[in-house]
Amino acid sequence: MELSDILYNKAEYVETASGNKVSRHTVLCGSQNIVLHGKVIVQSDAIIRGDLAHVRTGRYCIVSKRAVLRPSFKKFSKGVAFFPLAMGDHVFVGENSVVSAAMVGSYVYIGNNVVIGRRCILKDCCYIEDNTVLPPETVVPSFSRYAGSPGVCVGELPECTQELMFDLTKNYYQHFIPAPQ
Amino acid sequence: MAYLVRNDIVQYACTCGQLRPISFLYFCRHCLKLRCGYCVCHEVESHYCSNCLEILPSAEARLKKNRHVPKHIRKCQACFDCPNCLNTLAVRGTTVSVRDPEDPSKVNSQKKYYHACFFCRWTTRDVGLPDQAVQTVSANGWAQKNTSNLQRITVLLEHAKLLGMLERHEREQREKKFTTRFRRNFSHLPGLTAAHVRKRAGLPPELPAPSTIKVNLAEFQPAVAKDTVQELPSDIFTEELDISRVTTLAQRFAQPETQPENIEDLLPMYKHLSTKQSQRCRECEHNVSKPELNPSSIKFKIQQAAYFHVPEVRFVTIEPPIGGKPSEVVILFINPSQHPTTLSFITLQEAEDEMKQYHSEGSADTSVQQGEAPPSLSSLTKPVTVVEEQKPIDISLTGEVLLPAPDIEIILPPKDDAAEYDDSGETQQFHDDPKIVIHRRANKASLRFTVVPKTDFIGENCVIGFAFRYTYVNRISSPAISTSEQKPQKVQLCTRVFMNCGKILEGTQ
Repeated sequence: MELSDILYNKAEYVETASGNKVSRHTVLCGSQNIVLHGKVIVQSDAIIRGDLAHVRTGRYCIVSKRAVLRPSFKKFSKGVAFFPLAMGDHVFVGENSVVSAAMVGSYVYIGNNVVIGRRCILKDCCYIEDNTVLPPETVVPSFSRYAGSPGVCVGELPECTQELMFDLTKNYYQHFIPAPQ
Repeated sequence: MAYLVRNDIVQYACTCGQLRPISFLYFCRHCLKLRCGYCVCHEVESHYCSNCLEILPSAEARLKKNRHVPKHIRKCQACFDCPNCLNTLAVRGTTVSVRDPEDPSKVNSQKKYYHACFFCRWTTRDVGLPDQAVQTVSANGWAQKNTSNLQRITVLLEHAKLLGMLERHEREQREKKFTTRFRRNFSHLPGLTAAHVRKRAGLPPELPAPSTIKVNLAEFQPAVAKDTVQELPSDIFTEELDISRVTTLAQRFAQPETQPENIEDLLPMYKHLSTKQSQRCRECEHNVSKPELNPSSIKFKIQQAAYFHVPEVRFVTIEPPIGGKPSEVVILFINPSQHPTTLSFITLQEAEDEMKQYHSEGSADTSVQQGEAPPSLSSLTKPVTVVEEQKPIDISLTGEVLLPAPDIEIILPPKDDAAEYDDSGETQQFHDDPKIVIHRRANKASLRFTVVPKTDFIGENCVIGFAFRYTYVNRISSPAISTSEQKPQKVQLCTRVFMNCGKILEGTQ
């Protein structure tokens, strides 16, 4: 299915010079630690916790409604350390999902209502189905499809996943347009 | 993207008759045909562990050294799965205080490691496994408690392998009668062992003589039914069963060697290895997909997915299909190639007739079509053609689609990665019929079709099918023709598409 236009209220969204579209109804903590690399969409009620550690996303990332990007921590004998959250290009994060990964590669699809546990590593080109719970420190290899609670590998992705995700995020950005006044 | 989420909306018919979404199809540039997973040879390129992402190049050689792991099961030596919830186990370190054996008054602190599951909180300490002194725990310390099933499983697997060998032997004998094969003709080549030649020619390794296979088969002892069954434990009727201490079926199946009944007997399981695979066209033996060996690389040395060669078809809008009433659907066609392509539409029947004709012609001059074997093979042998027989397509059409006349041609411009930065709008003029083409943008065109769902399939999915011809520019350089004469060849190909328009509704009248 070709995406149909997704209309947004122009007053609600801020568009930066690099093409990021960020809703005003989001919680961006520690905004000096958040880097959105261009053409990123952050939708309403999303939370990005830049106050804990650096959060960097690549180009063409989509953070859906009520999603949470939260850098992960690790307890050491002398207190707690937070790890920066790095996200590659063309990543889709579905609604109500919580991402506490240490690294999310490029061309990654994270479905709705997903929990990505602390310090997970999602390699390039992987797919997390809706309602998956990935336990902490899980590694998701490339071209794999994870589902369930705890998330386990349930299948493989086609070889052209990179192009499919590229197409999805780019199309999404092109169809995410302000509603006519 | 729809292909990642839903696979059944638009399906292409493979040359063999299988229906697959375009993302799961390959396109052989030498045969100029679509190939599905059944029409290609899958070859394992490398084994890797999905947790530590370590390549095990000669997985077998490594595993043979470890007696605890049977060699037919490929598993990572460093990573373990939780036997309770099947999640990956993590290594935890703790400091324990140990009394000095020489001086009991002194207490030394020592770093010890154990495995814990972060999901269900199972630890190796729960089942009484001792903590390890090194971080990379090998399971050698964890004694296999009961391996009686393991031996039986190994025997059964061996037996199945022997049966397979015998069957293959019989098949090879049968084939030999009908075809003059090259099999043994090149074993005289200098510097190559017979096994090496077989490997280079893409053949399975040489089989042992059938007599030895039969001798080995005769040694196999089938399972014997016993009259006496093990007595139930005496306390089974008196003790209350604690269901939380009994393993589930999934937990037992995950450990076929021991099949523990109580959760106290659960042991950490070696993590199974994943594979990187390359795909080879069975007809011409060229690779259609070959990944890089590195497990974290997503690049390919060869990638001939249909997605890069065959025009992609997508729904844009669908009017709800009502039985017997014509409804309008808008379908988007995307040209993925670097050359312009011309589309024209034909019915499935016409496409099938055309393919039959092509098949009969193709078999006559296969030498021209697929004469150029890969250089590694051409010196040794002419490729053996193992063609999947064409099967009828297993789908019932529940809607009619009214196609534009076959002489109407729609030109799709080539894919241009720079086009997105071009704001000048449409520069090219295509003299399109506005009744058919409703929108154009870069290499995409949205076309309007009319679908009439059949009245006797109300409540079922409205499935339509059609075929389209497209021009394909073949840029393969063949060593047979000198480079000066080499020109990209323009060929016309045809592909069949099946689309699901959703449930047919009942008409209100």
